[in-house]
Amino acid sequence: MADLKIQGLAKSYKDVRVLENIDLDIASGEFFTLLGPSGCGKTTLLRTIAGFQHQDRGEIIVNGQRIDHKPAHKRDIGMVFQDYAIFPHLSVADNVAFGLKARSLPKGEIEARVNESLKMVRLDGYQDRLPGEMSGGQQQRIGLARAMAIRPTLLLMDEPLSNLDAKLRIELREDIRDIQRRLGITTIYVTHDQEEALAVSDRICVMNKGNIEQIGTPFEIYRKPLRRFAASFVGTMNFLPGQLEGGRLRVGSQSIDYPVDASGCVEVAIRPENVALASAPLQEGMVALKGEVLKITFLGREAHYTLRTEAGEIVAQVADPAQDFIGMEGRAVEVRLPLQKLVLFHPNGDVLDAGQAR
Amino acid sequence: MRRRSRLDIWTFVLVAAWGILIALLIWPLSSILRSSLLDNDTGAFSLVHYFQIATIKAYQRAVGNTLLAGFGGMTGALLLGVTLAFLTTRFHIYGRALIQTLAVVALVSPPFIGAYSWIVLFGASGVVRKGLDAIGISIPPLYGAAGVILVFAFKFFPHVFLITSGALASINRSVEEAAESLGVSPTKRLFTVTFPLILPAISASALLTFVLSIADFGTPRIIGRDFNVLATEAFNLYGSEVGGNPGMASALSIVLIVLSMIIVFGQRWVLRKNVYHSNMIKKPERKQVRGFKAVGVHVLAYAIVLIGALPAIIVVLFSFRRTSGPVFQPGVSLQSYERVISTISDPIWNTLIFSSTAVVAIVITGTLIGYLISRRPGIATGALDAILMVPYVVPGIVMGIAFITRFNEPPLALTGTGLIIVMAVFIRRLPYSARSVAAALKQVGPNLEDAAVSLGYSPGKAFVKVTVPLILPGIMAGALMSFITAMNELSSSLVLYVGSTITMPVRIYLSVMDGEYGTASALSTILLAMTVTAVYAAFHLSGRKESALL
Repeated sequence: MADLKIQGLAKSYKDVRVLENIDLDIASGEFFTLLGPSGCGKTTLLRTIAGFQHQDRGEIIVNGQRIDHKPAHKRDIGMVFQDYAIFPHLSVADNVAFGLKARSLPKGEIEARVNESLKMVRLDGYQDRLPGEMSGGQQQRIGLARAMAIRPTLLLMDEPLSNLDAKLRIELREDIRDIQRRLGITTIYVTHDQEEALAVSDRICVMNKGNIEQIGTPFEIYRKPLRRFAASFVGTMNFLPGQLEGGRLRVGSQSIDYPVDASGCVEVAIRPENVALASAPLQEGMVALKGEVLKITFLGREAHYTLRTEAGEIVAQVADPAQDFIGMEGRAVEVRLPLQKLVLFHPNGDVLDAGQAR
Repeated sequence: MRRRSRLDIWTFVLVAAWGILIALLIWPLSSILRSSLLDNDTGAFSLVHYFQIATIKAYQRAVGNTLLAGFGGMTGALLLGVTLAFLTTRFHIYGRALIQTLAVVALVSPPFIGAYSWIVLFGASGVVRKGLDAIGISIPPLYGAAGVILVFAFKFFPHVFLITSGALASINRSVEEAAESLGVSPTKRLFTVTFPLILPAISASALLTFVLSIADFGTPRIIGRDFNVLATEAFNLYGSEVGGNPGMASALSIVLIVLSMIIVFGQRWVLRKNVYHSNMIKKPERKQVRGFKAVGVHVLAYAIVLIGALPAIIVVLFSFRRTSGPVFQPGVSLQSYERVISTISDPIWNTLIFSSTAVVAIVITGTLIGYLISRRPGIATGALDAILMVPYVVPGIVMGIAFITRFNEPPLALTGTGLIIVMAVFIRRLPYSARSVAAALKQVGPNLEDAAVSLGYSPGKAFVKVTVPLILPGIMAGALMSFITAMNELSSSLVLYVGSTITMPVRIYLSVMDGEYGTASALSTILLAMTVTAVYAAFHLSGRKESALL
């Protein structure tokens, strides 16, 4: 059990600032995810915590003690790699025992822990196999068992699932989550896959260009984005240009009461699943736009309607679409945007505090 | 803390590597440059030697002949090698393993054996030539430019074959199928899609065969007759007791190095934007051909490798023939071997001792430098990598002359010792070892070491526990290849040897020059047997990959 504090961490490669003044506070036993596009600094941050790279400034504190002066092999941090990094010349059991041997544990203890770890990742019975004969999913299970066998203070995972196919990815991420919950080990998980982040995390830290955009629970990140970047990166989000003036919000030709102090240009954001199509009765607190169905993408349990409206193109998601949905293409339709589902962003990317308007 | 971790064992290795390269490469070679720029009599700075090269006919011819031999050998080797690579990767051929083995035999047999065997067959009193003469077909003896180029083509094509067949086998088949589906005929596809894709491999092997051809000393010496090239001119001017001209020899050496370097930069220029990366999805498949086409494919492929391996086969056969003096007699006998064992067994021991010593040094130094190059990039390592290119373009003759001028006086009077021969082989072969280790390390992801570190091993221990076991087969295969080339090294040893440090290639060369073909054949066969044993071991260690030979 360990908590992790990061204060004022910064790092540059030559002229490029990869990390700018990062502050993090991760509780003991938390599953904490660093989410962002490639090049956002998430992997650099993870590797700096592991000790493979060194910060220019800032502190890394585990359980109240600074660890950033220690070399990587003395930090007692388990790491799972994107390319598995399984030692191809060692058997499965020797891979898992590798870190235990460095700690000079007695032979019986090593064997017991190897078996326990392999059982945990459901690879019991594969002890004597060579990694070359095993699938990617199995290799990553070895990687996980190997990292967990040393009972590290922290577990770091660097995009562990991104080399696996979709079905395996979901299966293994559930396993990772279950194991992490059971053992209560503080885990920092790096991914660029927002769905994966939402599925496994206690909290998510959305990063962009070396900065933290937002930290929050999956629900907060999805439903209450604080920055335009977080809103657009996590899930799908429609953005329409809008105008605030004298307590009213104008979208396209429509104008509706929106009692906030601010005024000027804003971006109006709404999730596809919150966009309602004509059949719903027009209620108070909805923006109604005239539109036309451009395209329909049928996905089975839902369909995506791409709509052209007077304010711009938006996507609406319709759950359990009826059979005659194909006939909709090219037809005119009323689009409704419920006011309490709208999120407004300032031109600088900050969210606009809706306050009483919601 | 970052500063401290930089000052580790690898800093020491870097400094030591620079020390070795300066002492054994830059310093000796500087002596050549220096003496090429000094007047032999007055010792004053002068460009007289270069002026003479530009004006005196014999030297002009040597430059011209060197280029002729280089481009001729390169063209011949490319034609044979690319053809064979294409045939074996694209058509189903019976006995592909045999073809590859024969190509390897041609590759590893000592270079000058080829020249000598061709003389045995097609020389003034050549067996084939006389036989043909007896039935009324008269062909000229195989001396001069044609002979040299022929020998180079059949000697060096296996390099081209091995490099390009690797590239041909890793072209994504879908790319060729795509070309076909777009309506391009197979022949046109070959020139518009396939060859451009393997251009890096072709140009790399072109460079290699050119450099090997212009650096070769034994072949033009034995089969060239009055076909003088820069390497033989330099050797004559340096070595002759009377009329020696070290300044001129040095200037010719510099010209030779410059020629090689022009080709190296030329190849880089050709490749300046031709680096293709493709994800291997489908391997190309071998087409089954029938009828006349099948016969043609087989005849062509087997003809190339059989002619290439012919010198080695001839040498082995002739070593068992009865001789009386320089003349072969009918009948089989072991008398050549008896003579070798009873009178001249020293070269065998010298060769084994020198080669083993050099290889141990090459493997240790090469592994450490290879690690530096691939894992510790920086200005000092980058420059080290660049300097390591130099031995590729310095012919053995030149390296020998450089060593003998620099290590001639106390406190470094090493002339006449075995050490100087070992040092020359060491510096000539070090780059191959360092480069192959660097390449092997690129296959081992750095994440493996990171994983070991995260599990509690210090970086040094992680290297020993994880990386070394993974690259060990590659290191061992490379070591055996160094051993093979060290055993077969002629040109630098020929300059550096004295009576007590004579090696097998030098002894064979001298025997051929003296007309003792029986002894030469027996010694060559022994050398060939030792070489083939090492090759077999290298194959065994690297999982039978011909690419281990490069």
